[in-house]
Amino acid sequence: MISLRTDLPLGGDSASRFIPWLVAIMVFLGILAVSGVSVFDTILSGWSRAVTGTVTVQIPALPADSEKEANQARTDRAVAALTALPSVESARVLESSEIDALLAPWLGEGAAAGDLPLPDLIDVTLTDDAATTLDLIRTSVTTVVPDAIVDDHRRWFEHLIDLTEGFRLLTIGVALVVTTALALTIVYATRASLAEFKEVISVLHLIGARDIYVASQFAKRTLSAALKGSAGGFVAGTIALVAIGWLAQNVESGFLPDIDLSLGFWISIPLVSLFAATLAMVTAFITVLGTLRSMV
Amino acid sequence: MQIFNQVDSPDHVAAVELKNVSLRYDDGPDVLSNLNLALPPGSFHFLTGASGAGKTSLLKLLYLAQRPTTGSVNLFGTNVTDAARRTLPAIRRKVGVVFQDFRLLDHLSAFDNVALPLRVAAAAEPEIKSNVTELLSWVGLEDFMDAKPAVLSGGQKQRVAIARAVVNRPRLILADEPTGNVDDAIAMRLMQLFMELNKLGSNIIIATHNEQLVARFGFARLALADRTLSELPPISTSEASGIGRAVDEAQP
Repeated sequence: MISLRTDLPLGGDSASRFIPWLVAIMVFLGILAVSGVSVFDTILSGWSRAVTGTVTVQIPALPADSEKEANQARTDRAVAALTALPSVESARVLESSEIDALLAPWLGEGAAAGDLPLPDLIDVTLTDDAATTLDLIRTSVTTVVPDAIVDDHRRWFEHLIDLTEGFRLLTIGVALVVTTALALTIVYATRASLAEFKEVISVLHLIGARDIYVASQFAKRTLSAALKGSAGGFVAGTIALVAIGWLAQNVESGFLPDIDLSLGFWISIPLVSLFAATLAMVTAFITVLGTLRSMV
Repeated sequence: MQIFNQVDSPDHVAAVELKNVSLRYDDGPDVLSNLNLALPPGSFHFLTGASGAGKTSLLKLLYLAQRPTTGSVNLFGTNVTDAARRTLPAIRRKVGVVFQDFRLLDHLSAFDNVALPLRVAAAAEPEIKSNVTELLSWVGLEDFMDAKPAVLSGGQKQRVAIARAVVNRPRLILADEPTGNVDDAIAMRLMQLFMELNKLGSNIIIATHNEQLVARFGFARLALADRTLSELPPISTSEASGIGRAVDEAQP
């Protein structure tokens, strides 16, 4: 095990009191940012699965005076054409009760949807490798029913996906800013410590210490302070995540995909803490080495 | 005792060599002017001179805390005048310094202070423990190993500083007033330690203005006066007794 014994006083100076708090806050923010990115990733892939996995085909109703059977025949032809395609797993015509349920928010409960010239809706489920077969579906369906409309839902989702992608990038940006802020603050704190420990460093040099020895003393000291902070940040961040997760469970929405975070995500949370402590240590080491080497 | 092994130094190269060395701070006047000196390996000198004569400045040149304004400084055959920063630690490890104000690290125990030169040289902990313990016992501080400098008396701090200076068996030991804060018995014991290390091959330079000390031990003198250095023979017995008498008479 690496000894954290140092020749520098621990805990006495401003930097070692300040670094744990700094690292704790940065780890907390870092955990939230990483969680944000994971949640947005999950939402995006959930939506994208929903978009690529299903297609809705609308068979518009013929003018009101036409025969009901003619409509039925058009729909049957479309279903037959669809099921003939190898990329289609299933094609199911929505029952009128399901259409009533879809319209209920707009027309009110019990509205007689049957009286309206509503299109028939065919819910098509695609096999996994069917992402690029939309054109094929459109061609097959319009061959048998020329005015059929093939909707891959993309129009509905595109703006949401853009917005979510925007949030995701913003969160990555926040994570980068947090990382940079941590590094810069450690540089500043280390320089302040160097000034504070000028006499100690001078004595170490005069008895034959190399710059690398002095730098590793600072690195150990910073690591020790940063580990305390990152442990605190980890605990606070995890509590926040559990609390948000509990709140999210209470939201009932068919709109958001299930946010089932992967094992990789849960492993990444302690890694954020370790990363912050390591970043602080390495930054302190490089700062001391750079500052000492610039001396004559 | 490991620290009392013979120092391995070739005897044909001067341990310390100054050629036309001058030193001034910033735009001030010369503090040291045109010093020339060559000390053979194994020499023992007192460095004398009035307060402000430049004793500490000369020592700083020798422990590489200061570079000369002109001239060259050679240690153990290496020109260190313009030595690159990265080469300094290796040279400094051959030089042990007892600073006038001790410069102990206040947050470290006596043991850890003395251990520092070994630790920066990456010595093994068991070796550090045995050498430091033995040396602290030698200077009579076996009961103060864990004491921080703040609770030590001036004399005790001085002994810790001396132990730190000699613990890694340097080839050159520079001591700035090393007996200034201790009573006579301890001073004799510390001088004995320096003489012991000298016998084993270390060069010793002790800056002092304690003439009684200089008189009692018959070592050659390096005298700083008017910014220049002259090498003087040991004070003769008659001179010594004269000084001794003068000191005795001065005391009430």
